[in-house]
Amino acid sequence: MFENFLIRPDSLHNETRDGHTVGFTLAVRHANYRGCYLSLHNGYYVEVDGTEYPTTAQSFEINGKPPRTFDDIRTAVHEHWNYDDEGILHIAVPGGLAAGEHTVRFQQSVLAAYGYLPTDEAWVKNPPTPGSGAGSDKAPDIIAYTLTLTEPEAN
Amino acid sequence: MAIHRGVSLYSYQQSQFFKELTLEDQIREVGQNLGGADGIELIDEMSLRYPEPGDDFRRQWFEWMQTHGTKPVAMDVGMDVLQFRDHVMSIEECADRLRQDIRLAKSLGFSNVRVLSVVPIEVLTSALPVAESLDIRLGKEIHQPMTLEGREVGDILDVVDRTGTKHLGIVPDLGIFQFRPSEVLLAWLERRGAQPAASAASVALALDIRRGQPPFDLAAISRHTAGNLRSDFNRYLTAGQCAPELLEVFDGVKQYAKDRVENPQDADYRTVAEALMLSRTSADTLREIAPHVTHVHGKFNNMSEVAGAPGQYQDIAIDYDAAIGALKAGGFDGYINSEYEGQRYFQDRGREDLMDEVDQVRRHQEMLRRLIAS
Repeated sequence: MFENFLIRPDSLHNETRDGHTVGFTLAVRHANYRGCYLSLHNGYYVEVDGTEYPTTAQSFEINGKPPRTFDDIRTAVHEHWNYDDEGILHIAVPGGLAAGEHTVRFQQSVLAAYGYLPTDEAWVKNPPTPGSGAGSDKAPDIIAYTLTLTEPEAN
Repeated sequence: MAIHRGVSLYSYQQSQFFKELTLEDQIREVGQNLGGADGIELIDEMSLRYPEPGDDFRRQWFEWMQTHGTKPVAMDVGMDVLQFRDHVMSIEECADRLRQDIRLAKSLGFSNVRVLSVVPIEVLTSALPVAESLDIRLGKEIHQPMTLEGREVGDILDVVDRTGTKHLGIVPDLGIFQFRPSEVLLAWLERRGAQPAASAASVALALDIRRGQPPFDLAAISRHTAGNLRSDFNRYLTAGQCAPELLEVFDGVKQYAKDRVENPQDADYRTVAEALMLSRTSADTLREIAPHVTHVHGKFNNMSEVAGAPGQYQDIAIDYDAAIGALKAGGFDGYINSEYEGQRYFQDRGREDLMDEVDQVRRHQEMLRRLIAS
């Protein structure tokens, strides 16, 4: 659901720290009609211009807290990602992305199905890798977005 | 005894997503623009800051109910069993969440709590004492492709018979009276690459099944939700895996598609599989169990104008005449809440082409008003 609208179009930005470009960000929404306990968030399939960025390169910023890795996110068992709320997905990649147009292929993985499923025990032991469709029943396809990265003008 | 009308705010999920309608806007639309509707149903994780919306919100909520002439009717609650990530939640942990949700519903003035169709009966019986003490009725949703004749209803009726409780019942989702895939779903699937022949095959399979001539045994699918069944079929197509009891059905769908669609691809198989997501339940059963209905989800995907009757609307894929007739004949005294779900079938397009949820609900309410009164 809302596949075409999950990434805010003006949200592709490089991220700098101590004068160095350390990665890029995307503002994202929940791909369902309801929110979920944040711990259920299993990360994203993110590919930019053919390069895939695994969950180990991802961190997620929500509920007014600093970005957390998905290893940390999975421990947020009583914290809720509310339906109305935008999260910021941070991707760590030295140098970030070049300014201009990029093709971003994207899919959310949230391990919230209806009730008990045959995959439950397996997904506790080995959470699925985003991009397989696991945890994406409400957004079953990887969707391509064309997004433009604009750099702040150098002074 | 009278049937009342309300709206599940689930119907306005897109308007909320795009911040076009606040929660109060949605409530106002129900209370002031739907010709006498006053019932509010909502999904806690959609409409509220869950699990604790705060006392300020509660005060605001009751003020809205008063101002807009609405009543809290039902809160729809979830059960995501991997919440703790290091183990699968036990029955008792799920019951704990349900008890928490019952208390939340009570604090907002709701009289009913709807649980998902796949919630085990043991979760319900464990939480039932809290529901009874707070005078909240627990309703188990019966959602396509489940039927009113299935185990899910039987389990509820068994508990009612055994305990005499008045706090456990059924929430029929009237999508169970759907008899063919929605035309807007099929159009969406075609935009995603399915052939028109696959849409035609899906309708043909649905009508074959309706006539009592299914080409393969469908018994195995009736205990799954449509959403989970779609996931299962996707996994079958992409990974070749499915639960053993589903294999014959999924193989049957594939063969049915191959017989009718030239060079079928995954998109075509998914389209034909939509015929599986239908319940084919009996209106007579709904009449018989009407005393156990806590409230009704008036599910619809597209309200189009009735040919030759300007200003009158229908969903061409759902037999609303039979469903409403059964509720009336059964003496149902409660709410039918509009539940619009067709907006998702336009979300592959730009914002200018999305459906107007407010208009769709108004059309559905026109039909409800007319059928209830007739």
